[in-house]
Amino acid sequence: MLRISRRAGERIMLGDDTIIEVLEVRGQTVRIGIDAPRAVPVYREEIWIEVKRENQAAAEAAAASGDLPDFPAKPPR
Amino acid sequence: MSLTIESSRFGRVEIEPETVLEFPEGLIGLGGSRYALLGNAPDAPFLWLQSLEDPSLALPVTNPHRFFQGFAVEVVDEDAERLGFDGASAMDVYVTVRAAPALEDFTANLKAPILVRAGQAYQVINQAPGCDLRAPLFAAPDGDTAAQGSDSAC
Repeated sequence: MLRISRRAGERIMLGDDTIIEVLEVRGQTVRIGIDAPRAVPVYREEIWIEVKRENQAAAEAAAASGDLPDFPAKPPR
Repeated sequence: MSLTIESSRFGRVEIEPETVLEFPEGLIGLGGSRYALLGNAPDAPFLWLQSLEDPSLALPVTNPHRFFQGFAVEVVDEDAERLGFDGASAMDVYVTVRAAPALEDFTANLKAPILVRAGQAYQVINQAPGCDLRAPLFAAPDGDTAAQGSDSAC
């Protein structure tokens, strides 16, 4: 992994189109600004991991189970 | 022009063009760019997202409004812009379902719904409060509404 030291207000360019800026450093927290092209989704890693796992789990649980019954949906709560 | 695939789950399936969804960004962490939305009937409680690139990949999905009254999707401005949200045109919403041997263990992912418009689909992170990654679909009738905060959208 590339390691770069930056101070608040300094930026990193990913290619020509993506800017990552250190906005503020306070104690253990760093606030970061990201300016990426529209087509690039940005996720917090922990949420990305959770959703990735859940997508995989949904696919695996379905593969492991037999037919999903066409049971009637429960009335809305 | 219709397309025929050999799905691990469904065997040989003829894919009608109007059931094909393009996922420009894939499903989060799972990738894939083209899926077909398959169902026994338009009003079936569960539909399937069958990958057109990986015959062994199929995920059950459902319409969250059917199970979760007051379900809402809120996305960050960047997502809204990327998806071309204008607030006016309707989008279909689906959530992935984690199946289980017992019905009461079925869950739906309200945290990362799939928004569909005009054949384009995006899985987004839902910012609405109280939207769980694993929300029980068939929870016990009592207790569960009480557990939800009043500001919960899900």
